[in-house]
Amino acid sequence: MKDLPQTVFVVDDDDAVRDSLRMLLKSAGVHAETCASAQEFLSSYDASQPGCLVLDVRMPGMSGLEMQHELNLRGVTMPVIFITGHGDIPMAVEAMQHGAFDFLQKPFRDQELLDRVQRALVRDSENRARLRHTDRIRERLASLSPREREVLDLVTQGKANKMVAGDLGVSQRTVEIHRAHVMQKMEAGSLAELVRMMMAVAPSP
Amino acid sequence: MTAPTPEVLALLEATLDAVVIMDDRGRIEAFNTSAEVMFGYRAADAVGRNVNMLMPVAERGEHDDHLRRYLAGGEARVLGRGRDVRVQHRDGSEFSVFLSVGRIPGTSPPKFVGYLHDTSLRQKALATLEKERQVNRLYLDLAQVMLVATDRHGVVQLANQRAIRVLKRGHAAIVDSHWLDSCVAPEDRPVARVAFRNLLVSDSDEPQQFEYHVRSSDGEDRFVTWRGVALRDANNVATGVMLSGEDITDQRRAESEAHRALERMNSVARLATMGEMAAGISHELNQPLAAIANYAQACVRFLRMPAPDLPEISGALEQIASQALRAGEIIRRIRSLVRNEDVRRESQDINELIREVHGLLASDARVHDGKLALDLTTPLPSVTVDGVQIQQVLMNLVHNAFEAQAPEHDGAPFEVRIATRVTDSGDVEVSVSDLGPGLAGEAEQKIFEPFFTTKASGTGLGLAISRSIIKAHDARLGYRANQPRGACFYFVLPAHQEASS
Repeated sequence: MKDLPQTVFVVDDDDAVRDSLRMLLKSAGVHAETCASAQEFLSSYDASQPGCLVLDVRMPGMSGLEMQHELNLRGVTMPVIFITGHGDIPMAVEAMQHGAFDFLQKPFRDQELLDRVQRALVRDSENRARLRHTDRIRERLASLSPREREVLDLVTQGKANKMVAGDLGVSQRTVEIHRAHVMQKMEAGSLAELVRMMMAVAPSP
Repeated sequence: MTAPTPEVLALLEATLDAVVIMDDRGRIEAFNTSAEVMFGYRAADAVGRNVNMLMPVAERGEHDDHLRRYLAGGEARVLGRGRDVRVQHRDGSEFSVFLSVGRIPGTSPPKFVGYLHDTSLRQKALATLEKERQVNRLYLDLAQVMLVATDRHGVVQLANQRAIRVLKRGHAAIVDSHWLDSCVAPEDRPVARVAFRNLLVSDSDEPQQFEYHVRSSDGEDRFVTWRGVALRDANNVATGVMLSGEDITDQRRAESEAHRALERMNSVARLATMGEMAAGISHELNQPLAAIANYAQACVRFLRMPAPDLPEISGALEQIASQALRAGEIIRRIRSLVRNEDVRRESQDINELIREVHGLLASDARVHDGKLALDLTTPLPSVTVDGVQIQQVLMNLVHNAFEAQAPEHDGAPFEVRIATRVTDSGDVEVSVSDLGPGLAGEAEQKIFEPFFTTKASGTGLGLAISRSIIKAHDARLGYRANQPRGACFYFVLPAHQEASS
């Protein structure tokens, strides 16, 4: 699957600030799309679109913080860089506590913004790569038969074929056949790799 | 016994006094109608009886003795001169009469005639009058206004308790004195004299109102509103003046206190608004400034490219220009906000302005656990300023000074000093100095720039606004290092030129 190009989404109610950010990003070779309000962004956002958000804290209607909350609810993991005015530090702190990637105080040097944007984009592609990896594991897991899944669970707990056969009430030979199918379907080269795959998809504690 | 002549009878009946004629043994021979009315006896019942029946029981014996003694030796106790005596009515009640007794000439044995004038009515009237006088006195004394009556020369005839209390002079010291001397502060006497004369010559019965200070015996000035009306006799000639005065000193003081408190609150409110306004403005100004910075930096990047996108660059430059104008517009708005609409330039004593806000500033000092010292030079030439604005600047400078010291608390006392002095050129310098860290190189350069701040919660506008206020007064807000340490902000106001012109 070919990656979509990364896009920086700029959400700011001030026309000039929004347009100047788009242009600054363009001058640095970064593709940017702009929205004048949080609502406008949320209604058009496609979760498969990689990139990051540059979000004004202070906006009429839905504020940057409220939008961040909404994104968290939707499970959107795209990194958010907040831009704040003078004296909005308490808001920036709150944003960081809710998982913002970073914040910048207006006005700022271009390099400060571009550095943060670059780091945010790297973070996003890492996130997405990780997601793609676990998605693939989940797809493979879904292709296993119930019996194969039972065998997988037991062998990744460290049990030998003989013990698995005892637990399932089947012959050791049958376990070996299921196990070979599991390794093949999961595209795992070794038991150790299989264990790592299962840890990647395990629900975080 | 000879019968009285008709003339005598007529005389007896016509008189309002009781007339009793008695013989040498005190027996009544004649008893006129007035005597009947006075004593309740009819003449027929009285004639022939001893005259002492008209006297109180205890004194009856004495009368017989007097009479005997007179007849024996001629000692006259009553004859020829009148005296007050007590007598008794038929119903037993006693009353006073004025009695005069004469011996009837040519009678032997002698006969006497007594005239009895009933004085109890007069005494009753006198008592009533006295009572009325006391009631009136009470009215006067209960009055919450000062009441002073004078004759037409201004000599005080009457002064009530309230007047005595306000003037702190005894009744005797006021009555019979000239009211201008006892009731009017010397500097107000010319005005009061004119008001008094106007009252006397005025045709109007309407009270006239005037105000002046009275000075009490201990030298305290009280401010009194007077209402005066002329007293006139039957021929409408002014005989004197009645003055009622209300001591409004406390009221005046309360009014001016309230006025000052209000002014103080206004300037505090304005200072608070200044802070809020500054926060709002700084956000607004940030927008065009951020846009300008972004566009300019984008332009630089585009221009470094091998094939710069010229339409994009020219669009950005246009945007830079328009955003700079937008920022300018915002600043113009600040200036019109800061510039007070009702600027009142008045000749002022700077020391007085400082003292007026001292209380407020001292409370700021307490909040910061510090001390506010005044080092005021007196006298100072007066300066023409908007007092409220200058006070606003002072409050801002003092507040900054305390804030600057706050993080440096190393046990040294927080002290902010407001000083005034006359410069070599004769102008007035006001300075606010502290013992804080002072300003380091960069800060000293930038301290007056809008939005520059060394404080975590500062808006960076206070000093900029203060400077624009001082500049509007044709002066300059300057900074110098304080000795031995700390910061000193000062401004020099041109001395008032009135005296020399």
